[in-house]
Amino acid sequence: MADDGDFDDGGGDMGMDDDIDDDEFNEDDQDPDGDQNTQTDKQQLQGDDRMEIFNEDDANAAQAALRTDPSKRTTTPYMTKYERARVLGTRALQIAMCAPLMVEPDGETDPLQIAMRELKEKKIPMIIRRYLPDGSYEDWSVDELILTD
Amino acid sequence: MFFHVSLDHEILLHPRYFGPQLIKTVRRMLFNEVEGKCIGRYGYVIAVTSIDNIGVGRIQPGRGYVIFPVKYHAIVFRPFKHEVVEAIITQVTRMGIFCKIGPLTCFISRHDLMIQPEDSIRVKIAGLQVDAKEFFAVGTLMDDYLVS
Repeated sequence: MADDGDFDDGGGDMGMDDDIDDDEFNEDDQDPDGDQNTQTDKQQLQGDDRMEIFNEDDANAAQAALRTDPSKRTTTPYMTKYERARVLGTRALQIAMCAPLMVEPDGETDPLQIAMRELKEKKIPMIIRRYLPDGSYEDWSVDELILTD
Repeated sequence: MFFHVSLDHEILLHPRYFGPQLIKTVRRMLFNEVEGKCIGRYGYVIAVTSIDNIGVGRIQPGRGYVIFPVKYHAIVFRPFKHEVVEAIITQVTRMGIFCKIGPLTCFISRHDLMIQPEDSIRVKIAGLQVDAKEFFAVGTLMDDYLVS
């Protein structure tokens, strides 16, 4: 895909330490992050010497180590104003692009207003990934963060 | 030759497909996007046999789209040099014969044969050109038990 390049830096260009992850209603299978199917195809493709076999086990193990365990998270349980802005902006954009609503709109038509209502009712199906300076991160789902105003 | 391999693919999902049917949509899009396509490294993906894992979706900053990493097993067809395969003739020209080995096009340089399109022949792959999204083969009939 053409946009793989700008997707890889995970929103770092915005100068914010959060990256928004979206698990879209399948929260039950978010956690393993594919750990169970790391048995790769080492037995196949021996015939062609131009194919090198990429060892996924190392990459997955390294990635899993960067994620902080939910019980050991240390960052604030409050949603920062920057996270709020980004969550609302992203969700409003999705609503504007015909994403199904998680609340009753009750005649509301403005995507941003609907997104605000979803946030108030903690129905936004997203996970905020807070990157820390050492490269590790904490995942906070939007519905567990405390809203102030 | 055919292989059963484990592959990765990323599905770019438009927000309109969010909702309870999301996983079903991702699976359907995987079949549509992958089957019949050619991956230069592995060959032609014939069929997806199983979807092992659909990872956590990742929002594209500023676009609203979500990327789902998918791991799946598929049967792939990877032609090799010196492989003997059955082919169906598609075209006979003055230069030679064009034939199809499944999705793979193969050219056999000029021969004096009584042959016509739709005939089935046995060829040996003499040369193989590998591109990112396509293969092209040059075949030969100069070996034992070939042609018919």
